[in-house]
Amino acid sequence: MSAWSTAARYARLSWFLGGVGLHRLTAYRLDFLLGAGAFLVRVGVQTAVVGLVFRQVPVVGGWSYHEVVFLLGFSLLPRGLDHLFTDQLWELSRKLVQRGEFYRHLVRPVSPLFSLLSERFLHPDGFGELIVGAALVGWSGSHLDLDLTATQWALAPLFVLCGALIHSAVKLLFASLSFWTVTSLPAMYAANQVSEFTSYPLDIYHPTLRALLTWVLPFAFTSYVPCTYLLTGDTGLVVWLPVVTAGAVALALAVWRRGLTIHDTTGS
Amino acid sequence: MKPPTMRAVRAYLPFATGGLQSLLQYRSMFVITGMTAAAGAAVTVFLWRAVYADTPADGGPGGFTLTGITTYLLVAQVLQVLHTNRVDDEVAAEVYRGDVAVMLVRPVSYPLVRFFASLPVVAANAVLVAVPVLVLFALLVPLTVPRPGDVALFALSTVFSVLIAFCVNLLTGMTGFVTTNTWGVRMVKQSVVAFFAGQLVPIALMPQPLAALARWLPFRGMVDGPLTLLLGRYDGAAGALQVLVQQVGWVLGLGAVCAVLWRAALGRLEVLGG
Repeated sequence: MSAWSTAARYARLSWFLGGVGLHRLTAYRLDFLLGAGAFLVRVGVQTAVVGLVFRQVPVVGGWSYHEVVFLLGFSLLPRGLDHLFTDQLWELSRKLVQRGEFYRHLVRPVSPLFSLLSERFLHPDGFGELIVGAALVGWSGSHLDLDLTATQWALAPLFVLCGALIHSAVKLLFASLSFWTVTSLPAMYAANQVSEFTSYPLDIYHPTLRALLTWVLPFAFTSYVPCTYLLTGDTGLVVWLPVVTAGAVALALAVWRRGLTIHDTTGS
Repeated sequence: MKPPTMRAVRAYLPFATGGLQSLLQYRSMFVITGMTAAAGAAVTVFLWRAVYADTPADGGPGGFTLTGITTYLLVAQVLQVLHTNRVDDEVAAEVYRGDVAVMLVRPVSYPLVRFFASLPVVAANAVLVAVPVLVLFALLVPLTVPRPGDVALFALSTVFSVLIAFCVNLLTGMTGFVTTNTWGVRMVKQSVVAFFAGQLVPIALMPQPLAALARWLPFRGMVDGPLTLLLGRYDGAAGALQVLVQQVGWVLGLGAVCAVLWRAALGRLEVLGG
């Protein structure tokens, strides 16, 4: 009974705080439009680069133009879903511990992690990523005459969810390092830069880099691995997806909890 | 009595040394710049190396060989590091917070102060980020060895590219007078500049109308211009001179735009006292 009511309470809180997040949009309308526009320009440039690459050759690393656009679009979906809920981890890594502002999440009657993340639910940039990603996936999918089986249709949303959890886990892990190092922004930024590699097929990279992206910082599982399965039906790596997701989340939560126990705040 | 230009420079030198001191407090910035540059270079280099994997030795699309395109993209990223002078962030932040008012009461020109303060940032980025990234990639992939004369031309051209980048970033920072979301403006600038400068795709590989537009815009002088000289992809002395003249033209043009817009912006500046 108590687990039930706790879950219901968190769901109610998330619903309410999500509404608060959306209300912010109406208050800062020009800022929201600028942010969304900036994002569109960025993805537009990325797509243009892919287009220019394929003017020279029909196939890159065994991938055709529409397949690469599919991958580019798909990679935005887990990123967007993660962006909607965990953007506050950047604040933790940047300044919350450094300025002694983190304690307020320890004194609230909810889990500290929920308290931290819920400061900004439904970040607008996440919606931009989801919409643009879905548009690119739909457009390239129709050009590829992609015919997914019922299993693939059923699994696709789970792939996006698992990918988002991997993104969140990596962010949480690096943000939690700030409990030891006061600020961990460079480390977290570096990890985020590494995730940019997954917008393109991993086949073009050096094998060492590919191994790093698959087994160390497992961003390959957010887009490359599920896309390979959806496009070719090859199940080689995709069976590892649940294991990798669970492992990444468990590790990140362990580091976060350990960080909470050693956290000391400035008193004033 | 000293000539007036010398006196003017002496008035601004403390801002350069001050910039150097504040750099020591932001050491993590170099890690961030370095990671961004290394990851960015890796993505473009590997992507285009996959395209040029099977090109003949005398050159593939756009006349680039495999080592040629690798050198182009890597040095393009290095130039981008030299253009990361933090002027856009700092001007935007000072306008947003109203700190710019303090600067205005001093008998110095704010854009010139920013220019001198950005010099140590550029120098430190060159030594602490650009050189290590270049060495790292030189160990991983084969690069073209340029002719000594081309290196000299490239060095001169790089100086102009840094000046153009300063003007572009100053103009970006000045959007802080109009909007508070300078993060969005900076992201647009970054994408547009990277694309039209030829950092992601050499201008020679763009389709005709796009290439014509890119050659006409000032951003060409930031990356594609210097690299045309470094890789000897120009047509005799006249061709090299044309690249440099175009760069100087844009430095003067953008400098004038900065000066005019700065005056106009001060007219509408309001800072709340507190």
